[in-house]
Amino acid sequence: MPAREALVERVHELTTDPDLPLHQHAYRSALRDERLAAFLGASLGVLFSVCFLTGLYSHLHQHPLSWLPVPSRPAGLYRITQGIHVAAGIASMPVLLAKLWVVWPRFVSLPAVKSATHLVERIGLFPLVAGGIFMVFSGIANVAQWYPWRFGFPAAHYWVAWVTIGALIAHLGAKWAIARQALRRPSRRPALAAADPVLGTVAEGSHPGLTRRGLLATVFGAAGALTIATVGQTVTPLRRLALLAPRDPAVGPQGRPVNRSAANAGVLHTATSANYRFVVEGKVRRPLSFTADELASMSAHHATLPISCVEGWSYSALWRGVRVRDLLVMAGARPGATARVESLEQGSPYSTSALNHAQAHDADTLLATHLNGERIGLDHGYPLRLIGPGRPGVNQTKWVTRLVVE
Amino acid sequence: MIEPEHRLGGRLFWVSAVVGWGVIAYGLRGLLQHHVDTRPANLATFVVGGALLHDLLFAPLILLVGVLVARAAPRRGRAAVQAALIVSGCLALFSYPLVRNYASVLHNPSSLPHNYTANLAAVLGVVWGLATAVLVVRGFRRRAAA
Repeated sequence: MPAREALVERVHELTTDPDLPLHQHAYRSALRDERLAAFLGASLGVLFSVCFLTGLYSHLHQHPLSWLPVPSRPAGLYRITQGIHVAAGIASMPVLLAKLWVVWPRFVSLPAVKSATHLVERIGLFPLVAGGIFMVFSGIANVAQWYPWRFGFPAAHYWVAWVTIGALIAHLGAKWAIARQALRRPSRRPALAAADPVLGTVAEGSHPGLTRRGLLATVFGAAGALTIATVGQTVTPLRRLALLAPRDPAVGPQGRPVNRSAANAGVLHTATSANYRFVVEGKVRRPLSFTADELASMSAHHATLPISCVEGWSYSALWRGVRVRDLLVMAGARPGATARVESLEQGSPYSTSALNHAQAHDADTLLATHLNGERIGLDHGYPLRLIGPGRPGVNQTKWVTRLVVE
Repeated sequence: MIEPEHRLGGRLFWVSAVVGWGVIAYGLRGLLQHHVDTRPANLATFVVGGALLHDLLFAPLILLVGVLVARAAPRRGRAAVQAALIVSGCLALFSYPLVRNYASVLHNPSSLPHNYTANLAAVLGVVWGLATAVLVVRGFRRRAAA
């Protein structure tokens, strides 16, 4: 039967042709190399560690610990840490994909388990790879405000970060000696004896195309291109280059972006109502109450402070408002008082935020009525918003109606 | 040649495995404790799904593209084509949610303020322009040398 013979021949060809994917030789490449894997892995280790530490700092702002109060100074610190967090996360995308490409034949190599240590190492790869992909994907989706999931992003991104960093620690211990040896190897041409049979490494120059250095340069080039195309959302002098940034620090109501409009927060009516009052209460000797106009006429202190969004964009502006510490004195709060501000917005995790002692007593922590010389607009928190040095944007509560002294 | 699997082990391996798995356990415990926010079942779909999507679809697809480039691109220009494809792929992947404009449901004019389809096209234009320039310059140099 010629048809059957032809089929058998075709299957034979597909499974043995060294250039086709079903055959191990198809993965052979001078680029699937231990030294390159070690370079990419080390870069990824640095990027992920930077993301983890800056992320932890951001978490500490949003979930304060009484025994580890965050500082209010320097005023631009959070702008820098969170800008780095998002930029490093975006830049790690090409590095992660390249690293996975280089070692991919390992994931499909057989036998799956060769020894007890190999089993331990291999099980640990799952949280590392799945966690790494999830962290980069969810972070990039979040800055683009794309939510294809039902879980809460901050909690999921935070807890999966612990899983990923734990897997990274185990992986570092497993690969330390191998990576160090590979990085110490003379760079240009490895002895073929040092080639990895599973990765299918072949000697450099054995086929045309990118060299190992070329691939490394390309990956860092891709990371650089992504950085240049986005980092202007926080490094404002580069804003014209930020063609792919989800925000432009000069586009929005009053020429400044917002993350949540008054309409989305459901405060259009309450924020403009004649019944609006701002009250100072809690542990005070004299509770206070003000109308929106009274607040505007009291507002006398100026401060230039950044709004730094957790999503990695930021801008600096001149704010005018009433100092929180002056309100605390007026209300007769005790010297060591801390405080909490509450928004007109209902049912959002960000409708309240806490001021620790340093933050509440900082000379520049204001309840602001003016932005760059204009009465603050509805989307920016009219009639009153919190603005303090070194805080994440989500903690710069808008549409403030209550200061609770604790 | 000693296979990497047989170079595992030793004190560092086991200490970091114990510490690492301790940290992983802390993360998993946190995920479950905050289940109202983390929705473990939905989260697991994305974490496991992401890894499977990469290993079983994305990676083989990239291998296939690699095979096609190795067959179609001329030997001399292959490195430049590969580099331009890798950079373009990364830029396009990042831009996907921007081009699709998923944020539009939030009705916030300051979010995604640009025309990202046009901007991505412009950035890709620069990438392929650079790749072409590299090829042209190399061609001239080769001809001058010959």
